[in-house]
Amino acid sequence: MNPLLTALARLLIFPGLLFAVPAAWFFLWVERKSVALMQERVGPPFMQPFFDFVKLLGKSTPPRSGIAGLLMRAWPLIAVAAAAGAVGLLPVLPISGGFEGDLILLLALLELPSVCIIAAGFSSRSIFGEIGSAREAALSISYNIVFLLAIVSVAASQHTFRLEALAGMHPTFLTELAIIAILICLPAKLHINPFSLPNAEQEIYAGPMTEYAGPELAMWELAHGLEWVAGTGLVGTLVAPHVTAGWLAACLFVLFSFAAVILLSVLAAATARLAIDSSVRFYWQCTLIFVVLAISSALFLRFRS
Amino acid sequence: MNILTMMWRNVVHGYQTLLFPARPKVTPRFRGLVQFDPALCTGCAVCRFRCTSRAIEYKAGKGEFTWSYNPGQCTFCGRCVEGCIDHALKEGRTEHALSQEQDTPPIYLAQGALKKSYTVARRPPAARPVSAATKSAGEDARTTAGKDAGATTANVGAQTIAGVTPATGAAQ
Repeated sequence: MNPLLTALARLLIFPGLLFAVPAAWFFLWVERKSVALMQERVGPPFMQPFFDFVKLLGKSTPPRSGIAGLLMRAWPLIAVAAAAGAVGLLPVLPISGGFEGDLILLLALLELPSVCIIAAGFSSRSIFGEIGSAREAALSISYNIVFLLAIVSVAASQHTFRLEALAGMHPTFLTELAIIAILICLPAKLHINPFSLPNAEQEIYAGPMTEYAGPELAMWELAHGLEWVAGTGLVGTLVAPHVTAGWLAACLFVLFSFAAVILLSVLAAATARLAIDSSVRFYWQCTLIFVVLAISSALFLRFRS
Repeated sequence: MNILTMMWRNVVHGYQTLLFPARPKVTPRFRGLVQFDPALCTGCAVCRFRCTSRAIEYKAGKGEFTWSYNPGQCTFCGRCVEGCIDHALKEGRTEHALSQEQDTPPIYLAQGALKKSYTVARRPPAARPVSAATKSAGEDARTTAGKDAGATTANVGAQTIAGVTPATGAAQ
């Protein structure tokens, strides 16, 4: 098949936009509903994330002039594009047609929404936005060390930066360690408890999103949902066993992603928000040691073989 | 682990939130709106003094007084009812409970829209029957006060209450 057509199909159909956008709304609903049930609340109806999106699209935004206004309109679109691209890169199907080095592109695309959020908070010139962005930046440099080292250790052990090869590998102790490290980083990446301090509700309003409204906020919500799909999907592709049937691979991907969403929701419901110093200390002191262990063992394995 | 057990129990038990048409059941300790009986009120204004949320207003006039109550400002602490010696105030548990279970809660658009005012003609306090217990207590107090010249404050208080109340009743 034409590689360009394959790439377009991955980006636009599966696991790209056509699948990822409803999946984003579904995962957002699952997270909200499960947290609500664990707190003895009713929770939102099934279609609520979609209704929220449509409602926000219909609202008008306050007029913003100059370069700051332009930037504020651009950041959510870049975040959505990056998150959708990250989902499109996931090697869900057995023959997905990736390329050498697509893991690095995936990591970059996964990080881009976070950078956009930081920039958006500072562009908005709101004090709450700036506080949220500063927190996001501090958190980002804490969890990303762990996140990147965990993935790099898996890639180094397999001698490749190709996602398809990583998805098809046999699980080892090292990959399990790396998956745990990724799972520990995901709450910070997705801004849920106990690392929900960039957009700390009831504390600094909505953090970097405070000044956003209407379609721009809808785009942020969509980017957030796509981040959910990409983050949990990355875990899903690494955990899911290698199968040859395409439909089975897709079902397993959805199943494992769903399990990751439930796991993160339980964590979000069971914990309270940590302060920024505690969060940073957690990643730098408690988690880093495991990742250093993982990468050193990966390098050791590589030199031995 | 305790929190996980708790969360699991919550999931199994289901939610406690009530969806819109349903209303919470009225608890036995529910107080409700304060009900005013102008026939019993003597206009002592103790209720106004005890009302910390300033929901009760009292205006004294010549030969009459105006008592008003603003439910929108009331915190339903029940101190006015507790302090009303004439039993002119009572907790409208039944009245308000019915309205809470069946109808929508009162809606008001302006401050003080729910306020109710009563203008009552002033008259002496109503006579209250003297029970046997009160009578004996009064006699005891008088006896103690008579025997002991240096009566304690408590005894003096008891004498005053026991002695004056029947006298007022007799005067009426």
